[in-house]
Amino acid sequence: MRLAATIAVAALATEGVSRLGSGIYAEAATYGAGEKVEGVVVKPGEVEVHVVLSYPLLAPVPELAEEVKQNVNPLAKGREVMVVVEDIEVGRG
Amino acid sequence: MRIFNRLLMALVFAALTVIGAFAAIYAFNLFGYRLSELPLSGRVGNTPFYSGLKNFVGAVTSGALSSLEIAILVVVAVVGLILLLAELKPPRPRHVRLGKRGTAATRRAVRGEAIAAARQTPNVLWSSARVKARRRPGAKVRLKAGVRSGEDLSAARSELRDRVSGHLERKGIPLRKLKVKVVEAEGRQAGRRVR
Repeated sequence: MRLAATIAVAALATEGVSRLGSGIYAEAATYGAGEKVEGVVVKPGEVEVHVVLSYPLLAPVPELAEEVKQNVNPLAKGREVMVVVEDIEVGRG
Repeated sequence: MRIFNRLLMALVFAALTVIGAFAAIYAFNLFGYRLSELPLSGRVGNTPFYSGLKNFVGAVTSGALSSLEIAILVVVAVVGLILLLAELKPPRPRHVRLGKRGTAATRRAVRGEAIAAARQTPNVLWSSARVKARRRPGAKVRLKAGVRSGEDLSAARSELRDRVSGHLERKGIPLRKLKVKVVEAEGRQAGRRVR
């Protein structure tokens, strides 16, 4: 749970990230006792980070996703990081 | 689970192939084997299941099956084949891979960008898009757009193609395939005001 929260903070700190996504078909979140961290799914060997980017884009989408990945990688404790760009939206961030 | 299913299906398929080959050999009296000489006797040979099976096989060999039985057999074979092919087909990824390992975009995000580019194209009244993810980086986009009636459809299609592919390229979203369909639309179908 703490790992998910730390990763969420790191992902949100990336320039160009508006907010964390919540998943489309299923909720993307990590659940703890009475709380959850939306946008980060911690699995045994992988961490999935769902982000929503903001317009205007500061760089092409793959570069921003790679930047999020670079920020999150050192915190993932050896897990593979998967960054999913859920949407690009106007007016936030 | 999927691997288990595949192994199971492969074993079932292999067993059915072998049984089918034996059935064909016995049914058509090939290589000196005859149906009447099937090595089934004793307790197995006296069961109702065996006698029913024997009658059924006899009906198959003599071509005396009812149309309902033929239809059922065909349906079973087709359903089995469809299930087998569906199981053997590897699943398509949920998200569009962005090139570098560990980065992806949802189909919704790619669809939004494709539609945004289409709506900036002159004379396009409405547009819709379907996006499929591929195992390799890049998306397959099917774009459908309506233009004013009387417009040159091939020119509109060409312009749409250029705009959408250029827009996605600028955003860095790899495009594997783009299909554009342009239809004539009436003014009242417009997703935006027509001047």
